Amino acid sequence: MFSGIRVSAFLAWKSIQRGSQGTLALTIMIIALIFVNLVFLPSIISGVVVTFDTQSIDFDVGNLVIEPREGSRYIDGVDGLQKKVEQIPGITGTSPRITAGATFFYRGRNAASTLYGITPEDERSVTRIAEYMTAGEFLSGGDTDAIIIGATLAGTEGVEEGGLPSLEGVEVGDSVEVAYPNGETRTYRVKGIFETQSFGVDTAAFVTTREMSGVLGLDDQASAILVKTAVNGREEAYKREILSYGVQEDVLTFREKSGGFVEQAIQSFNIINAISTLVSLIIAIVVVFIVIFINTVNRRRQIGILKAIGIDQQIIINSYVLQVLFITAVGALVGIGLNAGVTTYLTAYPLVFPGGPVYPDVEASAILRSIASLFAVSVVAGYIPAWRIAREDILTAIRG
Amino acid sequence: MIVAENLTRVYTMGRVEVRALAGVSLEVARGEFVGIMGASGSGKSTLLHILGLLDRPTSGRVTIDGTDVLALSDQRRTQFRLNRLGYVFQDYALIGELTALENVYLTSLVRGAPKAEYLERSTDILRRVGLGDRIDHRQSELSGGEQQRVAIARALVNNPSILLADEPCANLDSQTSKSILDLFARLNEELDQTIVMVSHEDWHKEYFCRIVTLRDGLIGEMVECRKEPHPGGGA
Ligand SMILES: Nc1ncnc2c1ncn2[C@@H]1O[C@H](COP(=O)(O)OP(=O)(O)OP(=O)(O)O)[C@@H](O)[C@H]1O
Ligand SMILES: [Mg+2]
Repeated sequence: MFSGIRVSAFLAWKSIQRGSQGTLALTIMIIALIFVNLVFLPSIISGVVVTFDTQSIDFDVGNLVIEPREGSRYIDGVDGLQKKVEQIPGITGTSPRITAGATFFYRGRNAASTLYGITPEDERSVTRIAEYMTAGEFLSGGDTDAIIIGATLAGTEGVEEGGLPSLEGVEVGDSVEVAYPNGETRTYRVKGIFETQSFGVDTAAFVTTREMSGVLGLDDQASAILVKTAVNGREEAYKREILSYGVQEDVLTFREKSGGFVEQAIQSFNIINAISTLVSLIIAIVVVFIVIFINTVNRRRQIGILKAIGIDQQIIINSYVLQVLFITAVGALVGIGLNAGVTTYLTAYPLVFPGGPVYPDVEASAILRSIASLFAVSVVAGYIPAWRIAREDILTAIRG
Repeated sequence: MIVAENLTRVYTMGRVEVRALAGVSLEVARGEFVGIMGASGSGKSTLLHILGLLDRPTSGRVTIDGTDVLALSDQRRTQFRLNRLGYVFQDYALIGELTALENVYLTSLVRGAPKAEYLERSTDILRRVGLGDRIDHRQSELSGGEQQRVAIARALVNNPSILLADEPCANLDSQTSKSILDLFARLNEELDQTIVMVSHEDWHKEYFCRIVTLRDGLIGEMVECRKEPHPGGGA
């Protein structure tokens, strides 16, 4: 058995060494490209999910959101609830927000969007909006006449944002008038402009809780409390934990908050991915099959001779399987290199999606899965033609 | 001892039947050096293929040292060829991707011989057929006669108990032919190797113990030539 493998390896190696280098290089290249194809799409899909998750957590809703229980508009006793939740180990911050639909007026233009009332210090402990100011500054606790505006809502002079709310050219220091849903209007000085690349955030604006409570007549109330946890990915566990502390309000993870949108998108992506994988693997089967088929047909006589001098047909078949393994291994290596190139490029120049920039997220498991399926497919595709020719009658094969 | 009984081999080509062998019975004793002669197309190669387990007769029996070789599975026949037979093809049948040396040692590799041993033996046998300075050449870099001698070296390297050679000297000048035949004779003497060799040349007859002449797939005549060792053989 061992010497059999040795002979197979010997024959395979000589064949690789002394066969056509051009065909070899081409085959390896095709396998490499198939590999890239197998890894690339999942890495983008997983990148989309990662982007959505981090954007949601970092800018939109934190890891979890506490919302008013069924039938109420606001959470009452916000201060006490915040203290209760913050004492849970692993919870690193909470930020109450008041939400209102508002209309913004600026130099004769207007736009309808969302206005949030936040407590700046609390907000900093949950979202990272404060780190993404492109102009001016974030709010501070005492501000009552200041507003910060998302880059999309602020807009650019003369550019309509294609259906998104835009005031077309607001700058720091300008005055913006805001009409609240209860009919009150206020004029604010623009203190800062932020850009997070999440379009739901960049179309919104923020004032302080103190200001908004005053306008809406609220006291120690909030539309939602955002919750930040020390690590991402354990939202379900924290949700149970929060509920177990006797919180009566609704608690949603950021995924639940998105209302199944991401799950649906992932599902659709997975179908696309499955189809693409299948096609790639079929191409791999066909390519390897043709290469080995031509290889064995060209070597019919040689295979006959090998059998004639006493070499078991299994050794001969194995020598082709080993050639396939070699080609696949080198192809996968080249593929890993190519993929690293593509990934590096797309990390430097990310794809832009509505939810934010998408970086390819190459998971080790995806690479391993691709390598494994490539090998499985290649071995089968290589074995069959080798087996067919190796079974042939000796003299028929030798006569060619 | 090889015993062939009533061998026939019929090739059907469409409507036409070619009886390459029409009922050949032959016994070759251990240590015998038998020459097979006959006109082109008389069935010499066909007979040798069957004795070499490369082909199966249409009817008849072949036993080698008591083993009914036709009853063996393909895998066993392959092992039999590897371990017991040496075969020199009429058209050499070298592996083009391998060098002369690799062609010769390939079967030793399959038999699991240690590297140092098979390298030495293969180099040695190539030297004995006069190719000591061609061991790294591939088929395309060898002349016809050189290829033929590589094929001979390959058949001899494992000292098979039976050597079947199909016109092994067809492409050699008489000087080289003589040295090859002397080598055969010596192996036949020293190792008691059984040799069945197809030949066209009259002067080869002096090497054979017995000459079997085929005529249209049948044995035309059988002549005992000599009893004592050939002068070329012996120690
Ligand atoms: N594969 C085949 N198909 C059909 N006929 C064949 C086949 N092989 C051999 N024959 C026929 O069988 C007969 C015997 O062929 P064989 O090769 O045994 O002759 P030979 O005695 O070795 O001749 P040569 O001295 O020319 O080598 C020939 O008539 C040949 O045409
Ligand atoms: Mg012949």
